[in-house]
Amino acid sequence: MYGWIWRHLPGNAWVRGLISLVLALGVVFLLFQYVFPWAEPLLPFNDVTVDGQ
Amino acid sequence: MARARSRIAGVISVFGELLITAGVLMGLFVVYSLWWTNVLADREADKQGDAVRDSWIADTGPGALDTQGGLGFLHVPAMGGDEVLVKEGTSPDVLNHGVAGYYTDPVKSALPQDRTGNFTLAAHRDGHGAKFHDIHKMKVGDPIVFETKDTWYVYKVYETLPKTSRFNVDVLQPVPKESGKTKPGRYITLTTCTPILTSDFRYIVWGELVRTEKVDHERTRPAELR
Repeated sequence: MYGWIWRHLPGNAWVRGLISLVLALGVVFLLFQYVFPWAEPLLPFNDVTVDGQ
Repeated sequence: MARARSRIAGVISVFGELLITAGVLMGLFVVYSLWWTNVLADREADKQGDAVRDSWIADTGPGALDTQGGLGFLHVPAMGGDEVLVKEGTSPDVLNHGVAGYYTDPVKSALPQDRTGNFTLAAHRDGHGAKFHDIHKMKVGDPIVFETKDTWYVYKVYETLPKTSRFNVDVLQPVPKESGKTKPGRYITLTTCTPILTSDFRYIVWGELVRTEKVDHERTRPAELR
């Protein structure tokens, strides 16, 4: 999977490494900005109130 | 034969990469929950707290309460002593901004200035500012000070309940019987989740009002905070 991505990136090893890094950071950004805030309320780790439900 | 074998190897290697990816994802989620949400929440809480203090300075009328911006600040030396902004409501929208909220539901909280009642608060144990992270360090006799625009309310912890059901809404009653009280009084109740990092149970700390002090021009802190 990652090998396939690597083979399809342009340029030499340095350029590919740089593009990979940018891609990885982009994924982390998307996760922190959109995916995790969406997922967090669905997971039972952080409910602090007492309630009747 | 060789081609079939290489296909199997390929499938296994993709499967392995997926497992590694899942592991990295979970690790990142932990980083997000325990670090990044604190960064965001503390930033937001500072901003909102500053806005409340600015409004107190700007507004010289007596006792005007802006519960939209925030009611005041909670000071608990046993939990490190950082002030915690207190706002109305305990929904994630409120609590995720690094503040404590007073209950409006299922049992409506009293306010500190009420003659009797229970001032009931909730805040996060981990992430989103983790304002009640050190609640287990609070012992009977520790002070809890609530600061409003014109009054310091000094409470003392008289009972803790380290583990109770999340459905135990009776801890919020105006007279919290489980804490041993039978008569109306001016109580404060802190609730958060426990054990740390999960929310299987709730941790409760009860305090009782000892005295109030007028806020002076220098906002001199009461003895408990000095």
